[in-house]
Amino acid sequence: MEPTQIWHSETSGSGMPSTLWLHGWGYDNRAFARIAALFKGTGRHRLFDLPGFGKTPLLFEGASTKDYAEILIEQLGKDAGPHIFIGHSYGARIAVQLAARYPEHVKAIVLIGGAGLPRRRSLAFKAKAFFLKLLGRLARLSDQIFKTQYRSAYVSRFGSADYKDAGPLRATLVSAVTENLASQAKQVKCPALLLYGSADTDTPVEIGLRYEQLIPIARFVELKGYDHHDILTRGAYQCEALIKNFLKAIDND
Amino acid sequence: MAIKKVIAVVFGGRSVEHDVSVLTGLQFLEALDPAIYEGLPVYVDPLGQWWTGDALAARSLYPLEPGNEKGLIQLTLDLATPAGSGPRFLTSQRGLIGEKRGEIAFDLIVPAIHGSNGEDGTLQGLLDFAGIPYAGCRTLGAAATMNKVFAKKVARADGINVLPELVLTRPEKGKFVDPEALKASLASAFGDISYPYIVKPCNLGSSVGVGKADNIDELVAALMTAFRLDNEALIEPFVANLSEYNVAVRRGEDGLVLTSAIERPLREADLLDFKNKYLAGGTPGGPKLESGSSEGMVSLNRELNPEELSKAQTDFIRSSAGQIFDLMSLAGSVRVDFLCNSKTGELWLNEVNTVPGSFAYFLWEAATDPLSFLALTTAIIEEGFALSAGRLGATDANTGGATLFARA
Repeated sequence: MEPTQIWHSETSGSGMPSTLWLHGWGYDNRAFARIAALFKGTGRHRLFDLPGFGKTPLLFEGASTKDYAEILIEQLGKDAGPHIFIGHSYGARIAVQLAARYPEHVKAIVLIGGAGLPRRRSLAFKAKAFFLKLLGRLARLSDQIFKTQYRSAYVSRFGSADYKDAGPLRATLVSAVTENLASQAKQVKCPALLLYGSADTDTPVEIGLRYEQLIPIARFVELKGYDHHDILTRGAYQCEALIKNFLKAIDND
Repeated sequence: MAIKKVIAVVFGGRSVEHDVSVLTGLQFLEALDPAIYEGLPVYVDPLGQWWTGDALAARSLYPLEPGNEKGLIQLTLDLATPAGSGPRFLTSQRGLIGEKRGEIAFDLIVPAIHGSNGEDGTLQGLLDFAGIPYAGCRTLGAAATMNKVFAKKVARADGINVLPELVLTRPEKGKFVDPEALKASLASAFGDISYPYIVKPCNLGSSVGVGKADNIDELVAALMTAFRLDNEALIEPFVANLSEYNVAVRRGEDGLVLTSAIERPLREADLLDFKNKYLAGGTPGGPKLESGSSEGMVSLNRELNPEELSKAQTDFIRSSAGQIFDLMSLAGSVRVDFLCNSKTGELWLNEVNTVPGSFAYFLWEAATDPLSFLALTTAIIEEGFALSAGRLGATDANTGGATLFARA
């Protein structure tokens, strides 16, 4: 693996505990600006720009959440923690990977609208997805053989906004959305807090409930009326209260 | 786990500040500690009807159009709850077979209505009458601060620097403000101090209906605007080189009065008008309003803890704010606004807002000893419970020996 550049991060506060914040896909460290500010006076907080976002350059094409976790630990070096990792959405996948692989560095994880487990889909949805995937492959095949332009038309018609915007991160995105962190979740040794908005359609409550079953020490809370994004802004105080409560409970144990 | 207390946050209202109140109310609900409280949104629409429902949480619902009440339940506040049972709302929903009646119990009301019919003591009086616990200022403080002239009189009597003023009442129907009589009144009220003047409605906050006048014609026009909103209007001399400073005040758990960070609202216009005050950085209904991070008073560009203030000025602001808070027996998170001539450095207490925009939480978060909005809502609620519980002693006629009728 090539040596990587230092990930950009914004740090505030000092001392223990050390909290590291990992943002979601398409965001950068500013995603947590509001919520992290509420933790002023509670140790050190580092808000990262994940590779490919904000000021941190790309890792390498097709880097997976496992790679992200590995390199983050490498970067932390002597600053070995144990840290509290708070991840939103895609950042939560990295938090789960970290907790599963490097338990000695992880004190606790908080997943806010955390992704990483496949959603239960209806048969109709699966059939439609299968058909669309096939169509995409055919388009690519046709482009290769007959020099047509079907693939780009297919992407612009059926690709998600994240997929279209991903650019060089596309392979990483694809590996993330198809990954299943169920076995990693089972290996998590530290306590986990799972916060999910009831109106979240990207990572619905169902995912949080499954994480709760998989992670041995987990507390699941559904936040009424919040979605995948406004849980970080409108929901900042709810998250603050729940996270502080959770951390207090850990410290008392 | 203990049963959570149900906190009914009442917002909207029959007030020109309806829209700002919606933001303030929703923000308060979002900042409730989920471990101990359960929020109950209660929206008072401009017609005066009360509603509740989860749908109220979405900013996109507003303004609530008739026929758009799907998912909402209409409420009436039960004023005749017998002693011993808790406060409740009565509900009625239209079902398949006639009306279905029900009730929603709650523990405390948080008035988050700005301006008339909410911040002015009327709602507080109603709640006291019904024995319903509520947060924030009591009836007296809310009513006394809402009337700008009265508040200034109290402040002046206690030695707090305030501007001189002239109070005018709305002319009778069909009559206009008489410019000649007005000139005479101006001369007697202000002596040498001439134009420009500032005209304000007497009983409103939020800069609604405030106007500046450079001559008699503009003054008459500004008065007519103010009289559309209030039957009393206030004329004050315009402060040259104007800077405004606001500070929030509350009572700490130990009974001592605490002040927040001081803010200087930034503005380009000559006068801080309503749009400037609330909508800087976003259009109403625009996507920003959903973000929750930059809305209401928060979106107003402000300088927190401005460096230009001397120690003497800061002391004046903090001590006068604390003084007026005590004088008027205020409670909750109150914002006290000051005017300053930035050249001479002179400061005047301008007005007191007992239900300030966003409960001024951003001033508390920026205080020397920061208090998060979450902790602020808890403090306001617990203070409300304590104040309502301590309001009256025994109400039994026997207590004072004031019995006239034979009792068993």
